[in-house]
Amino acid sequence: MLSFAELLNLSNRKYQELESGDIPWIRVGTAVCGDAAGADDVLESLRSELDKRGISANISPVGCIGLCYAEPLVDILKPGQSRIFFKNVAPDQVAQLVESYLVNNEPPQDMALAYSGNTPVNGIPSLDSLPMWKHQVRVAMRNCGEIDPTDIYQYIARGGYSALNKAIFGMEPGDVVKEVQDSGLRGRGGAAFSTGTKWSFLVGSPGPVKYILCNCEEGDPGAYNDKGILESDPHTLVEGTILAGYATGASNGVVFIRHGHEGPITRTQKAIDDCYELGLLGDNILGSSFSFHMEVSLTGDSYVAGEETALMESIEGKRAMPRFRPPFPAQSGVWGLPTNINNIKTLSYVPEIISKGGEWFSSIGIERSKGTAILCLSGNITRPGMIEVPMGITLKEILEDIAGGSPDGHSLKFLQTGGPLGGVLSADQIDIPLDFEAMAQAGAILGSGGIIAADDRACAVDMTRLLIAFCQYESCGKCFPCRLGMTNIIEILERICNFESRPGDMELMRNIGQNMAGTSLCGHGQLGWNPVQSALRFFPEEFAEHMEEKKCRTGQCLGPIITPQRTRSRWTSAQPLELRI
Amino acid sequence: MAGELTLQIDGNEVKTEPGKTIIQAAMDAGLYIPYLCYYPGMKPFGACRMCVVEVENARGTPASCTTPVAEGMVVWTKTDKIQDARKGIMELVVSEHPHGCLTCHRIELCGPQDICLRHVGVTDRCVSCPKNERCELKDTTQYIGMELTTPLTYKYRNLPIQNKDPFFDLDLNLCIVCGRCVRACEELRVDSAITFTERSGVSLIGPSHGSSLLESGCEFCGSCIDVCPVGALVEREYKWEKATDRVSTTCSLCPVGCQLKLEVNKRGKVIRAIPELDAEANHGQACFKGKFGFDFVNRKERLKTPLIRHGDLLEEATWEEAIAYIVHNLNNYVGDQFASIGSYRGTNEENYLLQKFTRAVMKTNNVDHSTNLKPEMTRTLREALGYNGATNPIWDLENSSCILAVSTNVTEEHNVVSVPIKRAAKNGSKLIVIDSREVELTRYATQWLRPKPGTDAVVVGGILRVIVDEVMEDQEFINSNCNDTQELKKSLWQYDLVKVGIITGVTEEEIRKAARSFALSDTASIVYALDTIPSTHSEELVKAITNLSLLTGNLGKPNSGIYPLRPGTNDQGSWDVGCVPDYLPGYRSVGDQSVSDVATLWGVDLPTSQGLGIVDIFGAVEKEQIKAMLIVGDSLSYYNGSVGDVKEVIKKLDFLVVQDTFLSALSESADVILPSVTFAEKEGTYTNLERRVQPLTKVLETQNTQAMPDWWILAQIGYAMEGQGFEYHCPAEILDEIASLVEEYSGISYGRLVSGVSKLPIVIGASPLPSQLLPASAGQNNGLQWPCKAKDDLGTPILYTSGFKNRQALFMALSSPEAPVMTDTDYPFVFLPGRILHDPRRELTVEVSGQRNSVKREELLEINPSDAASLGIADGDWLEITSRNKTIKAKASLTDIVFTGTASATFLFADLATSLDSSEEPEPMSKVPTLDASAVKISKIKA
Repeated sequence: MLSFAELLNLSNRKYQELESGDIPWIRVGTAVCGDAAGADDVLESLRSELDKRGISANISPVGCIGLCYAEPLVDILKPGQSRIFFKNVAPDQVAQLVESYLVNNEPPQDMALAYSGNTPVNGIPSLDSLPMWKHQVRVAMRNCGEIDPTDIYQYIARGGYSALNKAIFGMEPGDVVKEVQDSGLRGRGGAAFSTGTKWSFLVGSPGPVKYILCNCEEGDPGAYNDKGILESDPHTLVEGTILAGYATGASNGVVFIRHGHEGPITRTQKAIDDCYELGLLGDNILGSSFSFHMEVSLTGDSYVAGEETALMESIEGKRAMPRFRPPFPAQSGVWGLPTNINNIKTLSYVPEIISKGGEWFSSIGIERSKGTAILCLSGNITRPGMIEVPMGITLKEILEDIAGGSPDGHSLKFLQTGGPLGGVLSADQIDIPLDFEAMAQAGAILGSGGIIAADDRACAVDMTRLLIAFCQYESCGKCFPCRLGMTNIIEILERICNFESRPGDMELMRNIGQNMAGTSLCGHGQLGWNPVQSALRFFPEEFAEHMEEKKCRTGQCLGPIITPQRTRSRWTSAQPLELRI
Repeated sequence: MAGELTLQIDGNEVKTEPGKTIIQAAMDAGLYIPYLCYYPGMKPFGACRMCVVEVENARGTPASCTTPVAEGMVVWTKTDKIQDARKGIMELVVSEHPHGCLTCHRIELCGPQDICLRHVGVTDRCVSCPKNERCELKDTTQYIGMELTTPLTYKYRNLPIQNKDPFFDLDLNLCIVCGRCVRACEELRVDSAITFTERSGVSLIGPSHGSSLLESGCEFCGSCIDVCPVGALVEREYKWEKATDRVSTTCSLCPVGCQLKLEVNKRGKVIRAIPELDAEANHGQACFKGKFGFDFVNRKERLKTPLIRHGDLLEEATWEEAIAYIVHNLNNYVGDQFASIGSYRGTNEENYLLQKFTRAVMKTNNVDHSTNLKPEMTRTLREALGYNGATNPIWDLENSSCILAVSTNVTEEHNVVSVPIKRAAKNGSKLIVIDSREVELTRYATQWLRPKPGTDAVVVGGILRVIVDEVMEDQEFINSNCNDTQELKKSLWQYDLVKVGIITGVTEEEIRKAARSFALSDTASIVYALDTIPSTHSEELVKAITNLSLLTGNLGKPNSGIYPLRPGTNDQGSWDVGCVPDYLPGYRSVGDQSVSDVATLWGVDLPTSQGLGIVDIFGAVEKEQIKAMLIVGDSLSYYNGSVGDVKEVIKKLDFLVVQDTFLSALSESADVILPSVTFAEKEGTYTNLERRVQPLTKVLETQNTQAMPDWWILAQIGYAMEGQGFEYHCPAEILDEIASLVEEYSGISYGRLVSGVSKLPIVIGASPLPSQLLPASAGQNNGLQWPCKAKDDLGTPILYTSGFKNRQALFMALSSPEAPVMTDTDYPFVFLPGRILHDPRRELTVEVSGQRNSVKREELLEINPSDAASLGIADGDWLEITSRNKTIKAKASLTDIVFTGTASATFLFADLATSLDSSEEPEPMSKVPTLDASAVKISKIKA
């Protein structure tokens, strides 16, 4: 087995060959955003085109750099030149790209998005000057779109596993916890609990077998940053998890991904396999006395499986239904053993925090919310994508500067943040800074970092129905208020949307909602009333319009209706269920 | 004491222990908090949120079923806020649950079993719910003071009622998805046959993946029915009947001795059986027999008067006539030409009287009970350890770290004993099954050693050898409690593991692993029956088992015991009271000095010739040495072949008296038939397999028949034949006589036993209805485990805690290992029946027939390819399997898994389950086919 110094040496040599070798290095974004835009075909035509012309080049399928609106994104680094990004490359444009840039060294201006490097390229803006890029501070996403996620050497060459090496051989576990505590890092899954403090709970639980769970269930519509990180740079998560294990004395790590997301699953699995091969996982990591094991576990198709106790049930092979607390996971978690559950983003920060120090991390961001936020922008905006910005930046900056505002001259109407349970924010609130407390004060949550923007074409009532339809569909069916309450609320919202509301419906809905909020077992039911409550707060007049004037100002309600599949309407509308005994 | 803490609930100071939840503390203190998904004895679940409370200085409204108590906690359970929240949830519940019965304006006026149809919609009517008047939802709505109307839109689910199950109906329209049934199945029974289906608003319950209950591993124990708070899961028979009385008694169907609450309707029929939650013997569990097998009590076909044979005809007679006729005839057969056989479910008092009558009046020791086919099962235990019986309570098994199950199909024969075994296996205890058959327990086993038929003793011998070889004995225990191990060790030299492997087909590696598991566990228990062991090799197996427990020091302490699983309900008691040929009451050997106590008490001279047991009696009848018999009760064992063709043999008798509840196969040859009552109509005591003496309570008055309890009949005959001391007024007097003769029973009296049993009146109109508090406050009766030698002795749950009875336990040398010959030239194969529900290879169909449905399945017979080749059988051929007394048809399946010379089939559990009722035999339990190994011949037939 190689020592870390030897490993680093080897990695650097390999990376050198790519970065300053004699042939071009071509990187194609093949995360889910790239794939959806046709990156596979682009990659294929690129290979055949180069073959045809006898040009040799290193081609790396990389992850998502965050500029999702520009996918498929091809970036070419020619020896001795700046790296140039080409946007929205269609398979039939590949030949032209190769012809003009690789053969004739004239980058096609209309396809180029930006360059990065020391040598300016004529007529092409620098990456740092792009509005979507210039506000960004990339910590957890430092490698996204930069390296081949399946190549562990590229990760190591860019500083990967140095933090692990540093921690194992230079720090006591307590120091690692303290460093994370000093950094002010707070959980990025939604609850924003201090990560260092959470770890210290696990440190306090005795036992040789303890678990670190990494939650990539990520079922929120509009959130894909966890999957984005696993697809683009799985090693940062793996390294963060091993560090968490070292700090807390845990012995096992489980990455929990929803089944069907092939990119994150295969790439994470590959990263774990490579680590085992190089002695970065397993018994006696890097020759030390520290041992840690990791595996990938898949969940069924269930949103609630992302709730931490439901997640543990799911790992145990049971139906994903939340457990009651206490006992808390740090005492009795998965298989009844002490367990810590962390979000993917949270753990992905850890290697940089250990490398550069907690103080460095806490210098980014603002008072109560340190570091950066990884956000997914989607909806009615010009530039959807995945970004990493320092905490404290205002929502306005994000929406207008980075995302480019609403398209086609429409104006922003509301934002939906932090997943369906998070509720909405109206357009006049976007001056608030990106900060856990400020967001909460405004009646929304930062949550897992999804921001969906809606412009004046959207109907607030329809949007509410959509969110509740999601929440209803995804209720696990365990506790009564959520299982039955959601069903009744969605029925009432359907009535309102269909202009069939009855007197007293609003009061009824409010009663059910408050009951749900007060008595539900887990966050799903407790927060399930949020979407309606915040919509009612900002757009009461639209509800009134639907209920009293029987009309919708946008006409959205009359559009295609998403029929919830798991409401009781099924029982009488469809064939009786044929259940055999 | 783990400490005590005090909290305040609604202003009441409540003392409780740490680790309890608020609802438990409240229930213990008699304070009511409404609940729907919680159930006493199960882990909290936290789904219904009906038990929410306010806790001062705590956030929100926590559920009291999941919140642990803390010192000084101040809890309020009935504030306006809480009641509003409960109302809100209940409104949601009834938006899908038919609720005419809950919100009807006449509810206050509604009396027991009233019917009025006019006030609510058709699907909502109270009479359309089988749980009407015993529904927990009703308690809760009344308690929280629901409005008469709900503001929500009500929707009836309109799902078809599922009635294809053999025993119960599932009406999902009434289901509130509390999950009690799912948890009972998983947590209490470890079957996980039912689960939640779907999720969200269409979440319901059912077998997983839409399969059938039969395929999902259901054992039809009825546990899910017992916990269902609404009418979703109910027993099909007497589904609509209302109970007017509930009485606790002891189940008469197997030796576990489950305490059941029998519900009786106004016409005096037993309509339901509900296991007692607090009973020590069954911990709230029952099985398909106890739950669904009591209907024979209600049968019309029951015998009504005594019958006397005149030629081919049986004619009705009065009791006086019948008894005079018996006296007249039996007087000619006093001495060894007479024999009597007691019932396997006769009470201690009845079987005592039978042997007293036989010995004192008929002057012979030819007396036995019908299930005593394998007396070797416990004889060796008594010899080696001191007592004839299981050493520990049944539920000690749950905490045993290692359990060895040998040649027993416990899931069916002693169902409730399998519950603690399966729970232990689930909690990580090691379960080693030694059985040639695939019994249900093999599914839970950590190790299944499958020896060639009849060689189980050799496997245990191999285990002993490994323990000695690897020095894993408990030397300290042996030194202070046992005799020398030399003889045993010497005999073990013959158990070379290679040789053992050849004889048994079990590999050395497996035997070593099992030996280490057993010997290195802190606590280890053994349960055994002798189902697949020929009688020639039974004693050897019991010796080996006893040696194993002694060698590893697993006796005389909690959670480590030996459990012989005898077949009959009261086999233990029958032995204790002397209803066996070789012992008088209190294990006084025939011919021994101690017999004089009995002779003095009875005031007679006792016969001195050795008596014959059940196996030999029929041989003697065949040879016409025995000419007259008295048989109490009918029994399955007459049919299983071990005593030959009884039906033919008894035709040779000159005079036969049968006491029975129904006409049976025996009655064809009987000269006098005397009608006896069922267990539900009489008093008496049973001693279960853990030595627990428990009372039978009179649940019903005998109706429309002159039938009398067997003890009364026996006392009448004895008195009429001028026997001394047959003037009994009640079984309690007989028990007192037993107590005076049997040392272990000397502290037991009927009065002590029934003091805990309560008869629960049904309160109607009280609010809240007490049904939710019933489980916790039900009358408790745990019987007494003998030895119980004084009036203040609380019994002995664990034997040998302070040394062995004879000061020393005895190791017993084993004979040389050998495989028994179980076949002959006519029947060259050993047939191994098994019973596994789930088998993906077979298609199941449900056939609806009458009230209970039957299940058809294509049967497969597994045989070794080399045997198949020699018989010219190919995979898929239809075969006929013929044994000495039965023939079955099945399809051939060739597999290496079975040894050459054996054939194996797994019958469907449901065949058994459904035949309980579909048979024409009025006494249902006798139809249960056993799973004994038997010799068969196999031939190919056309499909």
